[in-house]
Amino acid sequence: MKSNDLILQTSTRVVFFIIFLFSIHIFFAGHYTPGGGFVGGLLMASAIVLLLLAYDFKTVKEVLPFNYLAMTAIGMLIALTTAAGSLVFNVPFFTHWYDYFDIPLLGKTSIHTAMFFDIGVYLVVVGITLTIIEMIGGDN
Amino acid sequence: MAFQILLNVFIAFVWMFLSNSFSSATFIIGYLLGLIMLFMLRRFFTSRFYLGRVWAVIKLGGIFIKELVAANVAVLKVILKPKLDLRPAIFEMETELKQDWEITLLSLLITLTPGTVVVNVSEDRTKLYVHAIDFDNIDDAVDSIRSTFEKAILEVSRS
Repeated sequence: MKSNDLILQTSTRVVFFIIFLFSIHIFFAGHYTPGGGFVGGLLMASAIVLLLLAYDFKTVKEVLPFNYLAMTAIGMLIALTTAAGSLVFNVPFFTHWYDYFDIPLLGKTSIHTAMFFDIGVYLVVVGITLTIIEMIGGDN
Repeated sequence: MAFQILLNVFIAFVWMFLSNSFSSATFIIGYLLGLIMLFMLRRFFTSRFYLGRVWAVIKLGGIFIKELVAANVAVLKVILKPKLDLRPAIFEMETELKQDWEITLLSLLITLTPGTVVVNVSEDRTKLYVHAIDFDNIDDAVDSIRSTFEKAILEVSRS
């Protein structure tokens, strides 16, 4: 007898967004409170894994048509560029810099180059996790 | 439903622009004015006035909490009984609900009230298979679910 995954799928459609939002929140909270790129990336990957559990491989590939290997490469590139950017200003490799900006809606916000490095980490973690899962669980 | 809420928010924004003050207080005043307008013109919409649906959701929450307490007390009685004379069973229950979220909500509500667990949904989505911990009569169990949860969910989704 084939089982009906209706309850799991409908719940996943709701829960996915909550995990996604929480992942973004954890990512931005990483500067002053626990969190950061690594945990946020793992949460995002786990949200996609939940989708993979509820639906089949092909559906998720259609919904999220990302090339995860390319995503990993882009993440590495962003992290390296942020680290190498300090060389332009004649300071040692990996020196970070921050300043306060007036952004509409958010008000006075401090922008730190560590955040861009974290975006790179986030992308690498999501990409690597899902590459591994695709390699193991993929059909072909 | 969604269109009415969107229209209501739009009216509130228009009110904010007209009164030239962009604060939350103005938005709330505009929203209430929009509610009155929508209520006056409710016959022009294909679905019913949306506050009725909001009220139905609140009522469903109330029913759920009431049932949760009552069923937990019933299960506590079953646990504390010195003699175990349980009669577990799995029975089939026809449901009138059609949409995905309705069936899921009904299943989750049945599962969260102790004494009953939804085991599976049939392939054509017309039947739920429910496991009951201690039951005397199938019709009673089905009727109690029908009269409480299913009716409340139908009340929410009624257009």
